[in-house]
Amino acid sequence: MKNCFLLVRSNLRKAKGQAAAIIVLIFLAALTLNLWLMLSMDYRQNFDRSHDRLHAGHVTLAVDGNIEEMQGFIEKTVENDERTDDFSLEPSMHMVGLFQYNGGEVNTEFAILERETALSASVGRAEIVEDSEFTSGIYMPMLYKSEDIAVGKTIEIFIGTKKMSYTVCGFFNSVMTGSHNCMLCELILTEDKYKELEETGYAPVSTLCSIRLKDKGKSEEFETMLKDAVSSRYPGVRSVSNSYALVTSSRYISQMVCSGIMSAMSFCILLIALVVTASNIVNYIQENMKDLGALKAVGYTSSQLIGSLMLQFTGLSLIFAMAGAGLSYGLFPAINTMMISQTGIPYEIHFLPVPFLLTLIILGGTIAFVVWLYSYRIKKIEPITALRQGVRTHSFKKNHVPLEKAKVPLNLALALKTTLSGKKHNVTVCITMLVLSLVAVFSGLMVENIIADTTPFIELIVGEMADSCINVEIQAEEEFIQEMDQDPRVEKAYLYNSTGVRHVGGVELVATICDDFSKVNNQKVIIEGRFPKYENETAIAAKYAKEQGLRNGDEIALASEGKEEKYIITGFTQISNNLGKDCLFTREGYERMGTNQNVSYYLNLTDGTDIDDFNTEVKKKFGNQANAAIDIKATVEGGSSVYVSLMTMIVIAVLILSVIVITFVLYLLVRTMLGNKKREYGILKALGFTTRQLILQTALSFMPAAVFSTVVGVTVCSMIINPLTALFLNGIGIVKCTFTVPTGLIAAEGAGLILLAFVMACLLSLKIRKIAPKELLMGE
Amino acid sequence: MKNILLKTKDLSKSFSSGGTMQHVLKNIDLELYEGDFTVIMGASGAGKSTLLYALSGMDTPTLGTIAFGDKVISGMNQDELAVFRRMHCGFVFQQIYLIDGMSVMDNVLAAGILSGKDKKEILQKAKELFKAVGISEETQKKFPTQISGGEAQRAGIIRALINSPDILFADEPTGALNSKTGLDVLDVLTEFNRQGQSVVMVTHDIRSARRGNRILYLRDGVILGECSLGTYVGGDKERHEKLSAFLKEMGW
Repeated sequence: MKNCFLLVRSNLRKAKGQAAAIIVLIFLAALTLNLWLMLSMDYRQNFDRSHDRLHAGHVTLAVDGNIEEMQGFIEKTVENDERTDDFSLEPSMHMVGLFQYNGGEVNTEFAILERETALSASVGRAEIVEDSEFTSGIYMPMLYKSEDIAVGKTIEIFIGTKKMSYTVCGFFNSVMTGSHNCMLCELILTEDKYKELEETGYAPVSTLCSIRLKDKGKSEEFETMLKDAVSSRYPGVRSVSNSYALVTSSRYISQMVCSGIMSAMSFCILLIALVVTASNIVNYIQENMKDLGALKAVGYTSSQLIGSLMLQFTGLSLIFAMAGAGLSYGLFPAINTMMISQTGIPYEIHFLPVPFLLTLIILGGTIAFVVWLYSYRIKKIEPITALRQGVRTHSFKKNHVPLEKAKVPLNLALALKTTLSGKKHNVTVCITMLVLSLVAVFSGLMVENIIADTTPFIELIVGEMADSCINVEIQAEEEFIQEMDQDPRVEKAYLYNSTGVRHVGGVELVATICDDFSKVNNQKVIIEGRFPKYENETAIAAKYAKEQGLRNGDEIALASEGKEEKYIITGFTQISNNLGKDCLFTREGYERMGTNQNVSYYLNLTDGTDIDDFNTEVKKKFGNQANAAIDIKATVEGGSSVYVSLMTMIVIAVLILSVIVITFVLYLLVRTMLGNKKREYGILKALGFTTRQLILQTALSFMPAAVFSTVVGVTVCSMIINPLTALFLNGIGIVKCTFTVPTGLIAAEGAGLILLAFVMACLLSLKIRKIAPKELLMGE
Repeated sequence: MKNILLKTKDLSKSFSSGGTMQHVLKNIDLELYEGDFTVIMGASGAGKSTLLYALSGMDTPTLGTIAFGDKVISGMNQDELAVFRRMHCGFVFQQIYLIDGMSVMDNVLAAGILSGKDKKEILQKAKELFKAVGISEETQKKFPTQISGGEAQRAGIIRALINSPDILFADEPTGALNSKTGLDVLDVLTEFNRQGQSVVMVTHDIRSARRGNRILYLRDGVILGECSLGTYVGGDKERHEKLSAFLKEMGW
């Protein structure tokens, strides 16, 4: 062992630069790997920890009405179900609401609770995470804590169409109802404000039912059963619910996306680090053939020589993997802040031994394996042969690019000779550039579809977009339609109503009802087949269909308000807002089983129309008959801003990482090349080659592999990036991604990568300046 | 009257070693003439190779000037020196220094094409020179490690001559060769000199030195003396005796 340490020390002294480059790659791989493991292994578990701490329900249902008979029915239904572990029924108010957030609007169904009721519920209690001396006002879900929504500030909330103003008293955490990303979001009012709202009658009283199940995996099944039971017994009663399955998915979209990208990055960097290590080992054996022969001659065994390399690389890897994993804790608070802005659930950063150990095991293990695999040929070295052969850096099988026949300039021809005789370098460059091409294509896709123009992302996530959405009571529908037809500001108005239906033998689905699907703005919602046209037709979520084994043309039994009907599937939809659980009906189709109590109309307004003014006017005109008037764009922009900033940070991070990776890989290759070719550069300088020519030759020698792999990488990645993105986003119901692949931008990024590689290779080759021909002569 | 090719004035070269200055060349005034086969002799450490590197623009002097025609090469930067070497000098090294990764022909062409002359002309000249020194087409296609030392050194001479340099510098060209192949190499150099090629050769081998027509003897960084031998003719006993006497006088 002591002998091994001596060899390690000697090796490190000789190749400080190469060791430094590998260290940086290992460091970055450990950093991203540990972040990914922390995000994927613990971050989501934090939800369960909060869920258990707050004794939260697995199904939360708000049912309009507070009558004893209905409460009794719900109580009995829940109690008699053997899946129930615990439950509570709390008085609340329930209404669609709207407020300004993050430069946009939040528009969702709110369950409004009185402070003490919310904090003392036996199941699903809320916890105050920030309180103040203000005793009259509102407590907001933690998710909305922002510059505009802060303690002491006034928030204006539309409850239905009525505007209420409240002082923000603090923020709370409610795991099941703390985000607009789910169906139902909670608001907490102080006692006086609760009574005040109750007296206005703007929001109907309701019963908030939280049920804790023995098996959380049955949340969707239970939710469907309960809603079906309620709607069967009390047709026409409005109800809205959140299931554990829905909440865990929807509140962790950013965590899922971020950890997906982090895992891809960490494995890409690890792959590059492994390739670089392998190349370094092969090079080490070649360069030190004589030394290895001499060491064997004096009695070192092959195992000792291999062991010293294992000790050197694995030891360094473990030390710097620890440092990288350690630094990831320094970066985690920033990522945590970003995540909390989407999850809305507080997460306390603490040391996680399992991800830490896994990071060390994965990095140490893979590096040790690669070192063992590539240093194994030391066993075959015979001392005498090694001593005689010494350094052989070229294959003499073929004289690549004979100058006699070469049609290219001399510097390029000499660079090509180097390229073609250095397979190891080419492989390393190719793998690095292929990985970085994927990064370039991915970042180009994100810039084009999320950062520069959010429309494709919004269309993918939200489904349908329009300017305004007005919800009116069914009695006012005819008058509303007439009014819209006559209003010159309205370009198009169409029914686009959402409600819930139950798949018989399946789960609750979000049903979208439209009078004519040819009017909808986003025809890409259907990714296979067509929209329903007739009353016996439906289109269902592609993800759900895949899970259930349903195909186009199959018959599906759906139920609403206790009535069951069969429909033929005409197409598959993709609306990730509903996490892949939705279906579409024509109005006639839905009314075979359910009735519309109120209807939402989507409106396209003429350019220049002020949407807020228009909505206010409509609300004023229809009074209590208009339940909500929403600026859809503002709502969506508010919701998507979190993803835009998240994606911007990710794109910047991966681009910075790419520059670091390319720099260090090239540094390693150029260092190795300069070491191997020092004598050759000396001869060429003696013959009259200038430093600039030799730098150019060195940089150019990397270019064929860099250009080839970048062109192939960018082309192939451009073709597979949409399916790959769909794979990442499958968890939120995306099975087919139709993002625009920005060819120009990606081509520019590819060219930028090549240019960066060239410039870096030139800069790193500047050391050639120090090679003087006289040293070559005097050295002999 | 011979034309002056290179002229030095107060040429000095010093190195710092272990905190003390070592003056390897001391105020050398020298003229090298066109068509001469100049041989620089001296004991080990006399400064022969240092003088050769300085004259050829491989190294820069500490003091003094070196002029090539009207160009002062001692004031040139590294890139200007590279161009000077490319256009005006040829080098033959003791260790040969062919590039292992290139075929013998490519080693020659890499130097030839660099000069910017027409590639066809360069190729034609290379073939003629190879023929002249007895290197077959088959050998031209081989890599340096696949040929003998003598063949490699002859290829090295072709590489040095491909750009028709004004001066061919040779640093112990036979030092790494056995006596037979060493003689072959000397014959090649002598023949090219006969055809008008100026040669400056460093050697400490008397058999090599007698090929020159002008012998300079260096000791402790100073040219101690010089001897004129006239054109080399094989088996010239008188020439050998004259050289031996000169070297004896110099303390060889």
